[in-house]
Amino acid sequence: MPVINLQPYSSPSYFLILLLGLLPIMIGLYHGKRFRVYETIFSLAFLVLTFGGDHWQQGVALIIYIVYQFILTICYVHYRKQKNQTNIFVGAVLLAILPLTVVKFTPLLANGKITLGFLGISYLTFKTVQVIMEVRDGTIKDFDWKLYLHFLLFFPTISSGPIDRYRRFKKDYETIPDRAGYLEDLEKAVHYLFLGFFYKFILGYLFGTLWLPPLQHWALMQRHAFGGLGLSWALLGYMYDYSMYLFFDFAGYSLFAIAISYFMGIKTPPNFNKPFAAGNIKEFWNRWHMTLSFWFRDFIFMRFTFWFMKKRWLKNRIRISQIAYLVNFLIMGFWHGLTWYYIVYGIFHACAIIINDIWLRYKKKHQDQIPSNKFTKGFSVFLTFNVVCFSFLIFSGILDKLWFM
Amino acid sequence: MKAGKQLWRTFGPVLVAVLAALALFATPWRGLKISSQTVKEAAVSLSNNVYRGEKIKDVAVKDNYVPFIGSSELSRMDALHPSVLAAKYQRGYQTLLLGGPGSQSLNHYFTIQEMRTQLRNKKIVYVISPQWFTPQGQRADAFGYYYSALQAADWLLQAKNTKADRYAAKRLLTMPSGTSSLLIETATKKIAAGRPLLMVEKLMLTQKQIILKNEDALFSTIDLDNNWQHIQNEAKKLPATDNNKLLDQVATTQARQETKDNQFDIKDSFFKKELRGGRRLPRLKDSQTRFDYRRSPEYADFQLVLQQLAALNCQVEFVLPPINQRWVDYTGLNMTMWRQTTKKIKQQLTSQGFTNIDDLSEDGNQSYYMEDTIHIGWRGWLRMDQSVKPFLTKQQAQPDYQINDYYLSQAWQQKIVK
Repeated sequence: MPVINLQPYSSPSYFLILLLGLLPIMIGLYHGKRFRVYETIFSLAFLVLTFGGDHWQQGVALIIYIVYQFILTICYVHYRKQKNQTNIFVGAVLLAILPLTVVKFTPLLANGKITLGFLGISYLTFKTVQVIMEVRDGTIKDFDWKLYLHFLLFFPTISSGPIDRYRRFKKDYETIPDRAGYLEDLEKAVHYLFLGFFYKFILGYLFGTLWLPPLQHWALMQRHAFGGLGLSWALLGYMYDYSMYLFFDFAGYSLFAIAISYFMGIKTPPNFNKPFAAGNIKEFWNRWHMTLSFWFRDFIFMRFTFWFMKKRWLKNRIRISQIAYLVNFLIMGFWHGLTWYYIVYGIFHACAIIINDIWLRYKKKHQDQIPSNKFTKGFSVFLTFNVVCFSFLIFSGILDKLWFM
Repeated sequence: MKAGKQLWRTFGPVLVAVLAALALFATPWRGLKISSQTVKEAAVSLSNNVYRGEKIKDVAVKDNYVPFIGSSELSRMDALHPSVLAAKYQRGYQTLLLGGPGSQSLNHYFTIQEMRTQLRNKKIVYVISPQWFTPQGQRADAFGYYYSALQAADWLLQAKNTKADRYAAKRLLTMPSGTSSLLIETATKKIAAGRPLLMVEKLMLTQKQIILKNEDALFSTIDLDNNWQHIQNEAKKLPATDNNKLLDQVATTQARQETKDNQFDIKDSFFKKELRGGRRLPRLKDSQTRFDYRRSPEYADFQLVLQQLAALNCQVEFVLPPINQRWVDYTGLNMTMWRQTTKKIKQQLTSQGFTNIDDLSEDGNQSYYMEDTIHIGWRGWLRMDQSVKPFLTKQQAQPDYQINDYYLSQAWQQKIVK
């Protein structure tokens, strides 16, 4: 007998089953009640559907991972009640990142023959690291282990985010919205769900399934163009098409996750806010994969800057922020995966944001000389869009196929 | 009642959308009528949606289109291509081209059985490439490209506990595409084991079939390749009357113009692109000495086609295409092996009553029979027309088929006919 496995948000039947399962939760919330037991069973059932069947190895990896992180966090919370040493804190963070590091390194060492881990491990790691850091800060005091598990295993967002924060999640989970508020949530949820359908299954299909393969084929056929660099019109087309595909596919997915959260009375934060309308790179990162970039801002960039200043290694704030950007985006690059193009993608964005900062300072100093009008604003959006699309060309890995395969 | 109103405002449109989607896909309405112009374009488009789909093929066959089933040679559309000849002259038939690079008998079997209602007692032209009969047989990726869940659902719903159906089920299960859907995989396993499907499985398959048929009816005509325009342009090069001598002159002239820069009489564009203007040649010298088409699972897949055609009482003209003799000499293909292959194929055909065979396999040395290395073209198409035209335009004797399941066996697949 073949075994059942449903990949999140992939088929009409998934949505149908999901919405049927959600119905009791929705009726409960409508009447001001949260059926915690039902919700837990329902969530577990969907986790089994996602990580069960022929994906059972992933399911086992998930269980081991959760047990590990759970013990680690409990231990650190317990320790933090008595003491607060930096090296223990650093050790705890390193231990929290360890599974992800192992998972990312094994394919490299074993020539891609072994794959450990499970769908969504990187997103879970953001959550666990965040909790340890906030326990250290003292912002998380009353640690509720049941809620922590619920937060980690919240199935709408488990596979690819958006990355929620523990304290925000806790607030939503514990306060049930009043009827008018919940009705508004439902309205938003339906809107997000259908916008997601439009993004992922119509636009994502056009850009990703219909147009991307022929463009890729055409671009790879011209690998000898431009003195062996393979720069061709097809590659340019691929760049724009891939960027559109990346956005609509991921934004569509994020909308599904947010919609399902809203149905469950959890206001999972948005991931995208018209990123291609950004006027500069900094603004772009406030609009693109927002929960990720805010996580990096709060837990890498800010902390790195703060730590650097505290140690007084450098006095120049501008230099410090530049180094922080570099560290920030390098880690983001490594997080995407251990290939040259993800890392170059990180460095590229670090450089772009540093240059952007220099320009913004220059512009501020010479305000009276530099024109600012509709045309310059339009140009800045156009320029940002192209810089971003170029970075996605690096990110796509097609250059690797073009140059090294 | 304000909350109720707001609920309706939120979920009302969702409900309407779901109902509309159900009405569009899950009820057996089969889409809009297809115009004769669309059928014309679709029949020669070689589009995969047409091949995998159902509706256009059915409409075409009803409209006196004759299925020309084959593989990559069908896309060699010079002025003498069967579709051009049929378009130019009033012969009472048009061509429905089915097949492309990589499509072989197993795909064709599923395609033919899907058209069974329309194809009963009809005429078909079937081009068999000996190159299909490799030791591995049908490649899984190519099969997947031409496979559709609609074909599979249609097939499962009519499959019986016969040797052929059990064999077809086993073959389907060896292909990744055959196991990509849980429902189809489960049902196929049952057929392979000779067990009947459950009522609920039949119901689910029927429901799936309805959805897939509606998808096919709604979307398969979108974005067809515009070969029809090309065929009309080619037709302009042909003489006003359907005369063999005049046609032969056109074929020779066109071929001569297009084969100028290589010693194999291969079409220049092919030589330039596929053989890199000759730069690939050294690597290909004597590269085919070990090619062997005599032992292959393809023989049994081909038998599936034959038993299906016999069951439908179709009249079939089989064409064994030639192979470029100069290319054979260069690549060192073993001609003894080649002859034993065609002999084996012919034995499988004639012993079961398939007697309309146009064997061109020895004609590879005729000038301009081949458009490139293995694909028929120009004068070769015309030579084929010598048998196809009378076959399709004149009344044929009622066939008398005696199907023998031995040809499904491992023993036959591995047998060398000398």
